[in-house]
Amino acid sequence: MIAQRPSLNSLLAIVLAGAAAAYVLWKISQSPEQAVQFAFNGLSVGAVYALLAVGFTLVYSTVWYFDLYYGAAAALGAYGVFYLRSQETLGGLYAVNSIFVNVLFAAATAGVVAWALYESQYPRFRAHVDRPILLGAGGVLAPGAGIYMGFVLTNPKDLHIFLSPAIAVGCAALVTWILYQAYRSVLTGPVLRGLLVVTGAAATVLGVYCAYLIANTPEAKLYLSWGVSCFLAGVVGLTLYRGLYVYMRARSQSPLIMLVASLGILLAMTALTSIVFESTPRPLPEPLGNAPWTFAGATIKGFNVFTIGVAVVGFLFLLFLLKRTAFGKAVRAIGDDEEVSKVVGINTTTVIAVVFFIGAVYAAMAGILSGHDTAIQPRMGLLLLLKGWIASVVGGIGNLNGAIVGGFVLGMIEQFGIWDLAGEWRDVISFVLLILFLSFWPKGLLPRK
Amino acid sequence: MQPPADSQTRSAPNSRSPKALLAAAKTNVELWANLLIIGWALGFMLWKGVGFAIAIGTVFAIWAILTVSLNLVVGYTGLLSVGHVGFFGIGAYTVAILTSRAEYEQLRTEAIPTFGWPFFAALPVGVLLAGVIAVAVGVVFNRFRDDIYVLVSFGFAIISFNVFLNWRGLTRGAFGIHEIPRPAVGGWVLDGELEFLVFALAILGVIVLLSWLIVTSSFGRVLTAIREDEQAIAVFGYQTTHYKLAVWTISAMMAGLAGGLFAGWTSFVDPNSFILLESMLLVAIVILGGLATIWGSLLGAMAFVLLEEGMRFLPFLPAIHVGQARLVVLGILLVLLMVFRPQGLVGRYKL
Repeated sequence: MIAQRPSLNSLLAIVLAGAAAAYVLWKISQSPEQAVQFAFNGLSVGAVYALLAVGFTLVYSTVWYFDLYYGAAAALGAYGVFYLRSQETLGGLYAVNSIFVNVLFAAATAGVVAWALYESQYPRFRAHVDRPILLGAGGVLAPGAGIYMGFVLTNPKDLHIFLSPAIAVGCAALVTWILYQAYRSVLTGPVLRGLLVVTGAAATVLGVYCAYLIANTPEAKLYLSWGVSCFLAGVVGLTLYRGLYVYMRARSQSPLIMLVASLGILLAMTALTSIVFESTPRPLPEPLGNAPWTFAGATIKGFNVFTIGVAVVGFLFLLFLLKRTAFGKAVRAIGDDEEVSKVVGINTTTVIAVVFFIGAVYAAMAGILSGHDTAIQPRMGLLLLLKGWIASVVGGIGNLNGAIVGGFVLGMIEQFGIWDLAGEWRDVISFVLLILFLSFWPKGLLPRK
Repeated sequence: MQPPADSQTRSAPNSRSPKALLAAAKTNVELWANLLIIGWALGFMLWKGVGFAIAIGTVFAIWAILTVSLNLVVGYTGLLSVGHVGFFGIGAYTVAILTSRAEYEQLRTEAIPTFGWPFFAALPVGVLLAGVIAVAVGVVFNRFRDDIYVLVSFGFAIISFNVFLNWRGLTRGAFGIHEIPRPAVGGWVLDGELEFLVFALAILGVIVLLSWLIVTSSFGRVLTAIREDEQAIAVFGYQTTHYKLAVWTISAMMAGLAGGLFAGWTSFVDPNSFILLESMLLVAIVILGGLATIWGSLLGAMAFVLLEEGMRFLPFLPAIHVGQARLVVLGILLVLLMVFRPQGLVGRYKL
């Protein structure tokens, strides 16, 4: 009996998969145009799931426990855009601007900036500069960043103008840093310094010009608000890890404790969202490219193509980060064995905190994209979290390639599954798919090596 | 972390003197939790009068049946199920459909057939149906563990919610089912709040007794052994899957009973009572009260009901936000508990 079981399982799996494939092929032969339409829908839904699954896999394969805040981050991202843009684009119908929210996020930003300065710059300057001066500089910069964030959140109407100084500084710093990295390998001494000064000046001019352009483009506000709300979701994720999970891990190693604690966070954040924004579904403002294109007898929105692009670029970026950079090497090492990577000198706390930041940004982006496609409601976070979780199980848990494949597969199967049913059975289909996969193919499509 | 305080006092043989007992009591979290919640309940009752106690007593009884039954699965057997609300909904909808006497106008709203059964004929059917579905679901779920178990139990809650919402020919979808009659025995209808409270508390008493019999029997000891080390107990020849399936089914039937009671009490059911959030709430209450103790579940349910009622009287909180604000408080409490006291207030087992 025990020996028979695997073969019976695989036989059943083959029969099931064959039946499903035959059914889909039969349906496609019935009406190919509709099949193309469903494929388009599946791709655009799958892109959101893929983005979720990729970020989820990054976090999960590093720490190996489930962090349900990930779902709250998706809702936070979508509601961040709503918060920043509701005052004008939705006709000011549901304008929300609460001083508590602004202060809360300003404080979180200040804390994270202080943490980032301490982790990255403090060791470098410690030997050369006096402690009081360093503390004073940090004491100005971190609260300054917090106040700036609070100011931006208080005045979302002129987001593009208030954000433009930050964009100028960021642009200049980024260009200078890239060129510095490039010069450093070939040049040394005064030549390097001289070139760097020239580059810095040019980059500053470039940055100011960029900022000027953006300050004169009110349409940029929507996309700037994407950036702000993704950043805020990441900030909250980082704060939760550094401020809470680190201490919980020190007390207990059980993954279920982490799961239940993050369940509490998800519960509290969902309820807070409902209190601030009410629990009725709300629309997000229209993004560019919302007009449908006709292609091969079926329609797809330009925005959905953009979503697919975001998913693919997000995946490629993460692949690059993990496979080609020192940071990625550290992340993979921690995923393999956290204790040993601590022993060999990786600052595991910092690396995992950054991973939580990136993961939350991915979740927030997915939440925003799906929110633009449908509507947003406080419960969406949990559903998106579950979809990302399912997609990563379908793809092969802990494998980044599997995550993107799983996301698109889940999206396609969901869409083809509701061909004969009504659209509201979508969630049931994905969970039935999950249970089928777990029963017959528990390692997923692309198992982690 | 520190062992349960009563074992501390017991381990020291010369701790009978009043001073030593008092010193031990000061650090005894369980004692404080008990005193706080019971004191809170009594104080509230004195302040608001007996009518208030009758009003929230039934809510407490229904929540307590749910938490006690879920504790059998989560606390004693160690299966973290987040899908319990599905069985609650199955019980409620079965009773609602079988007993409702509403005449629905065709075309205007979704119409469903009305049976008009008496409550006490429908209740066993609801309990049995919950049990049958639990067996089917449990056979599938038995092979999963830990994180994946949580995920698939989320799945069960979502699937059942979608069935309640979307199978309109049976459940009327979002319209809900109206005019569910109050339970009646012969000519005696339990339409008073007090009568229903007594009825609900009687059922709660039966459930508590049953749970107590289960957990103190040899069956219950096998469940505890499964929680501690499933492979070890399997080596001794116990079919752990059968035990897990049995306790899962019993717990689901108790939840179905609570659902039937709920339908009879509110006389209206709609899918919003059975959303996933309620299920997470339930798990939170079970963990708050204490894992692997029946008294802890009762205490947790009482604390939760009192929390909601207590927040109604906060001056700065608008009344419409009370329902959400209690979730915020509960979520934060859950995080704090996981940090400082993973077994819950009076629990015997840490996750």
